Amino acid sequence: MPTALAALEEAYARRGARTAASTRLSVSMDPSVSMGPAVSTSPAGDRTPVVGYVGADVPVELLTAAGVHAVRLTGDPDSGSVLGDRYLGRGVDPMARSVLTRLLAGSFGDLDRIVVSHDCEASLRLFYALRELRRVEPGTALPEAYLVDILHLPHRTTARYNRRRIGEFAARLEAWTGRPLDLAGAVAAHDERRRLLTAVAELRRAVPARLTGRQFLAVANAALPVDEHIALLERLLAEAGRLGEHPGRRVFLSGSDHDTPHVYETVESEGYVIVGEDHSFGDLFLGEPVGAGGLDALAEHYHHSGPTAHRATVGERAAHAARAVRHCRAELFVGYSRIGDEAPAWDFPAQRAALDIPAVLLERQEYGRADLAALRKEHPCAV
Amino acid sequence: MRSVKTLATAAEAGRHQREWFADLRRRVADGEPFALLNADVPHEIFRTMDIPYAVSQWWASLVAAKQRSGHYLDLVRQRGYPDYSEQYNSVTLGSAFDPEPEAGPWGGLPRPDIVVGDATGDVTRKVFDIWGHEPGVTFYPLESAAENEVPANWWELMPHRWEQAVGPARLDLLTAELENLVRFLETTTGRRFRESRFREVMALVNEQEEWNRKTRDLIARTRPAPLGVVDSIPSVMLPQWHRGTEWARDIARRFYEEVRDRVDAGHAACPGERARLMWIGRGLWYDMGFYQRFQDEYGAVFVWSMYLAIAADGYVRHGDDPMRALAARFAAFTDQLYTPPWSSEWYVKEARLHGIDGVVHLVSDDPRGSYFTARALEAAGFPVIEIHADNVDARTFDDEVVRRIGQWLENVVLA
Repeated sequence: MPTALAALEEAYARRGARTAASTRLSVSMDPSVSMGPAVSTSPAGDRTPVVGYVGADVPVELLTAAGVHAVRLTGDPDSGSVLGDRYLGRGVDPMARSVLTRLLAGSFGDLDRIVVSHDCEASLRLFYALRELRRVEPGTALPEAYLVDILHLPHRTTARYNRRRIGEFAARLEAWTGRPLDLAGAVAAHDERRRLLTAVAELRRAVPARLTGRQFLAVANAALPVDEHIALLERLLAEAGRLGEHPGRRVFLSGSDHDTPHVYETVESEGYVIVGEDHSFGDLFLGEPVGAGGLDALAEHYHHSGPTAHRATVGERAAHAARAVRHCRAELFVGYSRIGDEAPAWDFPAQRAALDIPAVLLERQEYGRADLAALRKEHPCAV
Repeated sequence: MRSVKTLATAAEAGRHQREWFADLRRRVADGEPFALLNADVPHEIFRTMDIPYAVSQWWASLVAAKQRSGHYLDLVRQRGYPDYSEQYNSVTLGSAFDPEPEAGPWGGLPRPDIVVGDATGDVTRKVFDIWGHEPGVTFYPLESAAENEVPANWWELMPHRWEQAVGPARLDLLTAELENLVRFLETTTGRRFRESRFREVMALVNEQEEWNRKTRDLIARTRPAPLGVVDSIPSVMLPQWHRGTEWARDIARRFYEEVRDRVDAGHAACPGERARLMWIGRGLWYDMGFYQRFQDEYGAVFVWSMYLAIAADGYVRHGDDPMRALAARFAAFTDQLYTPPWSSEWYVKEARLHGIDGVVHLVSDDPRGSYFTARALEAAGFPVIEIHADNVDARTFDDEVVRRIGQWLENVVLA
């Protein structure tokens, strides 16, 4: 039996891959296929609707409550983005361009719906492109897209707006599936996953780290149904004593989202270990549980999520960086800003001022790449 | 090549702008509050309360026209911020960092007490928030909300049926934010907000934009074009920053009358007109002469920019509840210009209305849905050429563009 870490890394490696099933009904019953992102079936053969989602602000609890199989859509820096470049323009974050390219190529298999959040400008532009492509180029055969417009100004006006949008989304899901939502059960499951991931994050924060950043990324984003994910996380914690030690120079990675492991692998190949980050695929979104309280609590939770580079002020980001760096005992702060994703570069001066460790900015980076020349020059790290 | 304005209205608007700015500086020096506002937020509240304000993008356009944007972007860079990101707002932010602000255009931009911007994109809020950390400056942000499903024909719905076009969720949000903004301003400036004055301002704005609509329609149906965008942009945009005043309403009427007189006299902006061009994108403020560069050699005249057209279609809001009507003006303003299907369908409607022969589309790095604009226009039979540059950052403009457009005119538009 593979270790839990190996199983989670295997599930992570499969995320975003096309399933073997070529049609909706010729579905493999192999349990491993259900880990994949596209078609899933129950043991009775009923097909579970598959919803692809984009962005950090999609309330996934509602997708689980609706009984659909939710798959966070990710890009691929190695597979080109010609169509995404065409439809979104090269000024948009290449991560979103890659997601659109892969959607048009059918890389995610058959999706019944796509749900997009307004977590950043690239996600919003992706939603608009999906909506317009269905209207003017129906031959692209894209599934219907739905926008969940969660906003983040810290005011009651925004809270009321978010509550309305969450309610609309819940109603839409009920209309899609034709059945009521099991919200309490879904929130409990996701909160349990958050609790376990928070515990796993402490393994990475240990000195020396017991997980690399690359491993944590895989553990947190393994493409698994919530219950299977929970079971593997429990096993991982039980097996914690068997995890290796990673004594590299401890880095806090700030800035752009990383929907693939490329940048983590590049940085850690230099002898660093990424012990914390502040993007939505990492431990920024472990946060507080939603708890009881139904849709009101869910709306409040997503209103206050973050602080992400795209929705928070530079002051909020700097304060968070100072807290997080202390918490994970980082020795070096690396700001990372991708081409087309410029918000992190605006955060960096205030972050640097708020820290008592060295900080370096890698700006205008290619998708999936990290030009480490500046890092090597200013902060060499023996491998 | 310098642009040549020929319209008396444009000259008068320019003169008024200088006088207004000098008076603004005097008022601020005398201790009055001063607000710096983003273009797409409701200025009408400040007009109603007689709080002096300037528009961030207007200032950036002035800086660019004076070939000074590089200086202000350098100041942004010196603070550690990116000088390649959202230059339209960051050029103006640079003025806050200027050790010699009085050396700026027209004596320099006074330090604002209040900045107001909406949270469009990922960076706008950050830029204004950074400004809000300067001593004595308060930033008041507004949300930028989005909608799932929208009717495409917004320009038909907006004047009276804006509730249907924008949707109640966004209207409720912005209306509440604006009510809060009024109280914030009452508290921080001591100025009063009178409902009767607000209704007057809203009525003046509608009148002004209705005159712009008549002007737009007149230019659209007149061959040859009585004026080009070098004249129409200042004639509509400088008054736009003064909307809600009698001066702005009256000069909008005079703008119409002057264009009508030209039409009656058979005046042509480009004698021997062979091609009517549409400019999609923000104004190329550092090189307004660009728009007249193709007239002599190709008989190609830019008859259309978004500035008059959006004044004609994008501002008028009638209704009994003035605050909700004001929210309806801005809750989806940028969608009108940049979000398909609203933007793409509107550009096609405008191209047809104006008898456009070719479209020059400025594409900047801001994510603005340019593919769907070009696609819709080409599908409707309008040739499109895209050029890539930032409209206030002259460093991004390649002179090769002029040669490319010349070739495109010869080989496509005039072929």
